[in-house]
Amino acid sequence: MPIQDPRQDSKLFGAIPPEWLEEFEAAARRPLKTRFRYAFIKTYRPVLDDSPFRAFDSMEGYRRWCEENLPDWLGYGRV
Amino acid sequence: MGAFEYRQAEEIRDAFSRHGVRYLFIGKSGAILLGFPDTTQDADLFVERSLENGEALVAALPDLGFDLTPQQAQEVRAGKDFVQLKNGPFDLDLVFAPDGIETFADAWNRRVEVEGFPVCHPDDIIASKEATNRLKDRESLPRLRSFRDYWKARR
Repeated sequence: MPIQDPRQDSKLFGAIPPEWLEEFEAAARRPLKTRFRYAFIKTYRPVLDDSPFRAFDSMEGYRRWCEENLPDWLGYGRV
Repeated sequence: MGAFEYRQAEEIRDAFSRHGVRYLFIGKSGAILLGFPDTTQDADLFVERSLENGEALVAALPDLGFDLTPQQAQEVRAGKDFVQLKNGPFDLDLVFAPDGIETFADAWNRRVEVEGFPVCHPDDIIASKEATNRLKDRESLPRLRSFRDYWKARR
């Protein structure tokens, strides 16, 4: 993918906030392996990380389980 | 257990290829493969639900270090809608019926290949997150939509 100054082509990218565009361009310049290192993190999530295995018959059942069991601040509740 | 690493994604790709598992990276992990700069914890895989694919998946997971009991293996094999694995070297979510996507075949036909990794098209990743409508997705969707526009313009 050729790298160019995105600000030179407002037709292509005009609707994208400039700060996001800069982040997208910076990411595009990094090798995939580097992007992985920046992107995947590990922090403890209460309840969610406390069982080694879970299986749900339906996505609706999984969503409901999240809403009933996970702390709100994790953001898994539906809007 | 540490963060998901590039070499582990390669291990998924290689083990699933050996065993013939049909799958796609989806969710934010899929978006990251496409170039989306953001953070996440889990690798999310959209797995085709079929008897043959379930068998292949159960055969492949031990190669990646996931230790399944016979009952857990049966639940994976059966293609429960959502399976969360935290009994291996990294967190892995197996999604057999993601919200917002009609069929695996549809998503497969629209897939994007990134260095040998099969990834859902950004339109499908966004459709799935829109349908899920979680608070954490709603917060990230505007930036993800902008990335989709950027990605399409760059192709």
